[in-house]
Amino acid sequence: MKLKFFATYRTIANCMEREISAPGDVWSLLQALAEEYGAQMRAKLFTPDGGDIGMDAIILVNGMNVAHLKGKSTELSEGDTVAIFPMVAGG
Amino acid sequence: MNAWVGVILRVDLAAKTIEREPLNMKDAHDFVGARGLATKYFCDEVDPNVEPLSPQNKLIYMTGPLTGTGAASGGRFEVVAKAPLTGTIGAANAGGYFGPELKYAGYDGIIFENASDKPVYLYINDDVVELRDAWGLWGKSVYETTDLLIAECGESFKVSCIGPTGENGCLFSGVLNDKHRAAGRGGMGAVMGSKKLKAVAVRGTGSVNVARPVEFMDALVDARQKLKEHPVGGTGLAVFGTQVLVNIINESGALPTHNWRDGGYFPEADATGGESLADNYLVKNKGCFGCSIDCARVTRVPDGPFKSEGEGPEYEAGWSYGANCGVSDLAAICKASFLCNEYGMDPITLGATIACAMELSEMGAIPESDVGFKLRFGDPHAIVNLTEMVGKNEGFGKTLALGSYRMAEMYGHPELSMSVKKQEMPAYDGRAVQGMALEYATSNRGGCHVRGYMTSPEILGVPIKVDPLVTEGKASLLKLFQDLTALIDSLGVCLFTTFGLGLPELAAQYKHAVGTDETDEEILLKGERIWNIEKHFNIAAGVEKDTLPPRLLREALPSGPAAGKVAELHAMLGEYYELRGWDADGVPTDLKNKELGLANEA
Ligand code: SF4
Repeated sequence: MKLKFFATYRTIANCMEREISAPGDVWSLLQALAEEYGAQMRAKLFTPDGGDIGMDAIILVNGMNVAHLKGKSTELSEGDTVAIFPMVAGG
Repeated sequence: MNAWVGVILRVDLAAKTIEREPLNMKDAHDFVGARGLATKYFCDEVDPNVEPLSPQNKLIYMTGPLTGTGAASGGRFEVVAKAPLTGTIGAANAGGYFGPELKYAGYDGIIFENASDKPVYLYINDDVVELRDAWGLWGKSVYETTDLLIAECGESFKVSCIGPTGENGCLFSGVLNDKHRAAGRGGMGAVMGSKKLKAVAVRGTGSVNVARPVEFMDALVDARQKLKEHPVGGTGLAVFGTQVLVNIINESGALPTHNWRDGGYFPEADATGGESLADNYLVKNKGCFGCSIDCARVTRVPDGPFKSEGEGPEYEAGWSYGANCGVSDLAAICKASFLCNEYGMDPITLGATIACAMELSEMGAIPESDVGFKLRFGDPHAIVNLTEMVGKNEGFGKTLALGSYRMAEMYGHPELSMSVKKQEMPAYDGRAVQGMALEYATSNRGGCHVRGYMTSPEILGVPIKVDPLVTEGKASLLKLFQDLTALIDSLGVCLFTTFGLGLPELAAQYKHAVGTDETDEEILLKGERIWNIEKHFNIAAGVEKDTLPPRLLREALPSGPAAGKVAELHAMLGEYYELRGWDADGVPTDLKNKELGLANEA
């Protein structure tokens, strides 16, 4: 599957996008990313208690916010695209 | 006088008279300030059927009660007139430093009446107010005009002016202040140009008092702290600017491409986004008066065919010239957007009008001889050259200066103008963000994103996360957002404060500034009153009904999360009218008018 980083996540990961093999679900993916990129990534991805997706993480699976799918339990499979954004705004 | 100076300037441009009159405090109470208050003055004084570019249209500058008080991001003001692009009430909001300076000079607002027989500008140096000759400024760009006036009047003057497009009657020319901040949409610049009013230069040495200084300061500290702590208001906008939206909207399948013809995903979008802008062209970020968010970009394209410098582009302009024209060259997008500021016009409408011309040209509906070259999607030189042609009022630029609706109608395809009430919709596809579809259709100034901003809950998840693909619940949320944005514009603070502040924080600053004990609900009701008075004006002016371009209603998106979807307006509009207390045709009922104290306006 394809993983894409944007804005501050791109800076932290120093990567725009890459192919990975699909972990079971969004939660496993986020844990793996926190493991790989360390404390700064962890602090942005998770709530302070570490129990949920944090306020500063917008996770899209195939363009849909996981908040409107199955949240952190949203399954992932090969062929999916996951895009990770901080909370951004504009207009 | 608390939060206000208490004085309005009334300038008759034909008779060359300038009068000071007391601010109508009852209206200031009921309609808050800026957008709401100027609209109330306008509706009381001007026939809704006035021809927008005739001397009988009026042009009103109005500050809000929080403008210049030190309130968070409280440096804004509104320019109001009947809009030549749409025929609706025109209300355009700008930041920068001009608004507070006007108040410090001793004036809450200025009402311009009639038209001058020769170019003039209004000079305001505290209590010295004069109409001065502007022959030497006529034809000059926004940057040149500003520099010349500062050289003539003094370093500490703030300038609001029009560029050559305002003089030439371009229907989407704006009024720009502090060089780069624009009261951009609907053609306020053309109204100013029709009055032969080139600029207002102001210097003020006074101050603004608030009713309860200690409580106001507490409310202000609280608001600033909340903004600082919020991921968007704190650092998000400062680092990447509004152009950071390109990627998230694109990944959500909602970035309209090729005049909204080819779906909501532009493969080259990343090259035009805020990340790319920060990496390649950003010099520094900056902010408006009293703002800690500092979203503005100072940018420079150092070399190449599009070498240029300026401020921006903002997300909407970046999209209209980018994905919407199929252009992925960020340098060209920057240059086209800088040119819009220089010539004084709205880049959203112009980029979208060029995109429409590209589609019409590819179809063969616009002959190559009319444009002067072969116009196709994806051509970075075309967006820059055509922008230049509109700026100089040359060749095909004269046709583009009419906006997409009138242009497409001339060539037999009005349905390909992606506009609502003749104003171009901005950068969010209503088929993929259903609440935005309802927002565009019901906006009181035509296609617009700052009359509600449903993208915030639907895509960004602020303040709550709602699914962009469903229609349920959108009508009630939109009504709330429309009333709230009407209130915020009228307070004189920036809409971006909503990324961190809610009604309680905004209302607290207002209450302690003006000295009222109204509840938050009573204050929000003023936003609803403002929305309704705008609607009354539009109905009386015979503005067309609330709908969307046929493309959004009939052509489904081909791919992405919203594949197969059209804008389901019919599923939301009836409920929206009901929640507003309007009848099935969208006309406010007597009951609603009575509740809002608008029985006389109906
Ligand atoms: S957030 Fe941006 S537009 Fe709003 S006041 Fe601050 S700098 Fe100006």
